[in-house]
Amino acid sequence: MKNKCTITNKIREHRFFASEMTQQQLAEKTGVSRQTIIAIEAGKYSPSLELAFKIAYAFDVKIDQVFSFQMESDQND
Amino acid sequence: MAYKEKKTITTIVTGIAVLAAYCYYSFGSTIALTDTDAILQHQAITMLKFIGIGIVAMIVIQILFHILYSISLAIASQIKTGNCNDKEIEKMIALEVVEDERDKIIELKSLRVGFVFAGIGFVSALVWLVMDGSAIYLLNIIFISFSLGSILEGFTRLYYYSR
Repeated sequence: MKNKCTITNKIREHRFFASEMTQQQLAEKTGVSRQTIIAIEAGKYSPSLELAFKIAYAFDVKIDQVFSFQMESDQND
Repeated sequence: MAYKEKKTITTIVTGIAVLAAYCYYSFGSTIALTDTDAILQHQAITMLKFIGIGIVAMIVIQILFHILYSISLAIASQIKTGNCNDKEIEKMIALEVVEDERDKIIELKSLRVGFVFAGIGFVSALVWLVMDGSAIYLLNIIFISFSLGSILEGFTRLYYYSR
């Protein structure tokens, strides 16, 4: 039995509530490229713990309000 | 398409051009030498020349790319806002150039692919020599596999950026 973890985020939602902050503005605040923000927002890339904290800090919220973690057990294995 | 993807494409094109030039020069020219050591020395000199050419070409083309990219940004800014501010362009480039953790991971993954390919090429060259193959071809196989590894590294990078 294998455990598959899924990390989801609410970056888009938080950007909306932060006066429609642009991806570029968030990238500038966190010190990464806009492409990285796009990839994280789309769930294609899981950020490091440091970057995740920086993103949460940019929105002035706690990390678990932006990122959520789910563990799914794969019964087939 | 982002700055890094365009830069990677430029690197790939340069790599292909240098490899094509090497193949044309190496396989197209006939050597009047008969001594094996002299032939190997000639081949080694050719390879060293092309390593130098490759490095210089890569630097020159990257500089040209950076200049052209800045010009294209300035033109785009002129069309969009009606004015072209130097500081604004510099800021836009600085934001595009920034290297973050995702870039480093992509670089590591693509480097691994490139090294694996170059390693396979090196082992193939040794097998070729064991099977009584010519030492000149051994050198060529090593050089070409390293060059192709570098090109493959670029394609891998493009794949991860577009994913």
